[in-house]
Amino acid sequence: MIRPVLARRERVVPATQAAGFVLGVVVALILGAILLWVSDHSPAEVYERMFDSAFKGTDSLSRTLERATPLALTGLSVAVAGSMGLWNIGAEGQMMAGAIVATGVAMMADGLSGPLLIALMMVSGVVGGMALMIGPALARSHLRVSEIITTLMLVYVAIRVVEWLETGPWKDPESFGFAVIEPVPEQAALPGLFGRANIGMLIALGLLLVFWLAVSRTAWGYELRLAGSSPDTARYAGVSLRRKVLTALLLSGGIAGLAGAVQLTGSAARLESGLSNGYGFAGIIVAALALMRPSGVAVVAFVFGAVQVGGQSIQTLGVSSAIADILQAMILFGALVAVVFFNYRIQWSGPGGGSSIAESGEPDLAGEVA
Amino acid sequence: MSEAALIGLFVATVQFGTLVFLAALGELIAERAGVLNLGVEGMMTMGAVSGFMVGLETGSPWAAFFAAAAVGSLVGGFHALVSVVLGADQVVSGLALTIGGLGLAAYVGRNVVGERPETQFTDLGIAGLADIPWIGEIFFDQPPVVYLTVLLGLAVWFVLARTRLGLAIRAVGESAATTDTAGHSVMALRSVAVMVGGAFAGAAGSFLSLYMAPGWTEGMVAGRGWIAVALVIFGAWRPGRLALGALLFGFTLALQPRLQTFDIEVLGLDVSSISPALLGVLPFVLTVVVLVIISWRHRHRPSVAPAALGLPYRREER
Repeated sequence: MIRPVLARRERVVPATQAAGFVLGVVVALILGAILLWVSDHSPAEVYERMFDSAFKGTDSLSRTLERATPLALTGLSVAVAGSMGLWNIGAEGQMMAGAIVATGVAMMADGLSGPLLIALMMVSGVVGGMALMIGPALARSHLRVSEIITTLMLVYVAIRVVEWLETGPWKDPESFGFAVIEPVPEQAALPGLFGRANIGMLIALGLLLVFWLAVSRTAWGYELRLAGSSPDTARYAGVSLRRKVLTALLLSGGIAGLAGAVQLTGSAARLESGLSNGYGFAGIIVAALALMRPSGVAVVAFVFGAVQVGGQSIQTLGVSSAIADILQAMILFGALVAVVFFNYRIQWSGPGGGSSIAESGEPDLAGEVA
Repeated sequence: MSEAALIGLFVATVQFGTLVFLAALGELIAERAGVLNLGVEGMMTMGAVSGFMVGLETGSPWAAFFAAAAVGSLVGGFHALVSVVLGADQVVSGLALTIGGLGLAAYVGRNVVGERPETQFTDLGIAGLADIPWIGEIFFDQPPVVYLTVLLGLAVWFVLARTRLGLAIRAVGESAATTDTAGHSVMALRSVAVMVGGAFAGAAGSFLSLYMAPGWTEGMVAGRGWIAVALVIFGAWRPGRLALGALLFGFTLALQPRLQTFDIEVLGLDVSSISPALLGVLPFVLTVVVLVIISWRHRHRPSVAPAALGLPYRREER
């Protein structure tokens, strides 16, 4: 029987992942257009509105950057854990935890001057994110409990805690019965840059730069990547895997917590259960598309920021903003598939054709398992 | 606490247990074949919305149930195509399936939010048995999906443990290369396992939207797909232990919304005074605690997870 098999290309496409990302965007837009078309919307009209609202004029661009900021931070959070093969899929919850602690600190220290209070809230955000991560990190480093499940479970915990704070202990007495928490003090608002973009964007860019340097240019970063790609080699070289797992996960949680504090002071104005707004989950896709590299995170976060701003804007056309979520997932799937075909080609193998088991010598049965 | 309230708690325990068991059973099949599918939450959500919509359209809960299973299997097939056939990262593909599935479900179901189905599953009062006090109401007066799920559990156990097909599935989850050499198609075994698993998850989602909480709202699966993923670890990849775990989690899920109405004190604290939002964290905290406890108990033993779980297979790269 002649059947297709994937054979590794001898010459792979240069800049594979970048090309895959671009193709992913194209594939997502085509599939999205089909979805829009079957639900009686004009794809051209919808896409034009999305594009204009995300890129046309400085105000639109500032909205894209405003959304790209938390995406870059959560993307970086996932990427830091991902650079040693760990999956923090609870950035959504750590954002909330960061925002909770930052709000608590702002309530206690609302007499402080702006810059001091903002700095304090940013640190609190990091602490909050780390606090939510400490359990999963210890469970992973010492007991090998899957961090995928524990980090995700704590998302639901963090969101419920915010709902509890809204209805109970932190309910704003001046809210006329609405279950909302009082806004953060005015002086805690992050200074704006232009339009809706604020210095949170610079914080995110700075952190991306720091991590790019740390991961790719320092011994610490080398050990981190080594521990992820070949744990045995790392252990032989004297790297403490437990400590590396702990640091990577705690840093990851801390960055997501910072994203929460930035969102709180930059865009949200008050702690609410919708504050994390799916940024933590989207951060997983951002990091995966960026192959866990800080430079890639910046680019993908910007594109995703635009997709989300666009998704919001088309609601006035009567189109559900869920299109944005679908497009983001489709971009990832498109890129995954594209990258496979950049590295492999389809080969039709028949009986006795090039790549059957019988011709490849003694099958190494242990190879697969290891 | 009244007797009726207590019986109600156990009736709900069986139903929530069914919900997570059915989804977890599907994930167990996929994982025994070596494929991690983190898209359970997405497949359940797609099953919930499509089942509900077919139910609205046809008025037949069974048509809705099987349509949801078909949709779940289709979504699972997407994961199989990307991660099994093309060999992309299973974690990434599964997560994208969940995120994309939630988005697609929200889009597809945008016009049926708030609608109520005309017909739904009716409880099967099993003749003779349903009249037994307590036991009858809890075990023998449930909707048919509960009994179907029990049968599916037995069938999965039988197929995995007692048939050649089951042996092949387990083998491909331990070592794909060995299974390939033995003449089985790794792609076919794994893809079918993932698609059957998806069907189970989709069906479970429709049990939620057709019977347990009739209707469709965004995010209605609310993390229970993830609990199903955790349950597979808890059940040590075995259907029997999975069922036990499902009852434990079913109990917690059933208890959480009822705790407030029970007039009980825990450590001197009146439970009814605790905010429902805080009680809502119970199932999720329990999941984490349980995972930590079993890992602590098994810390000196080798892992019981299928050895090839999460590893893509390409014959040319063995």
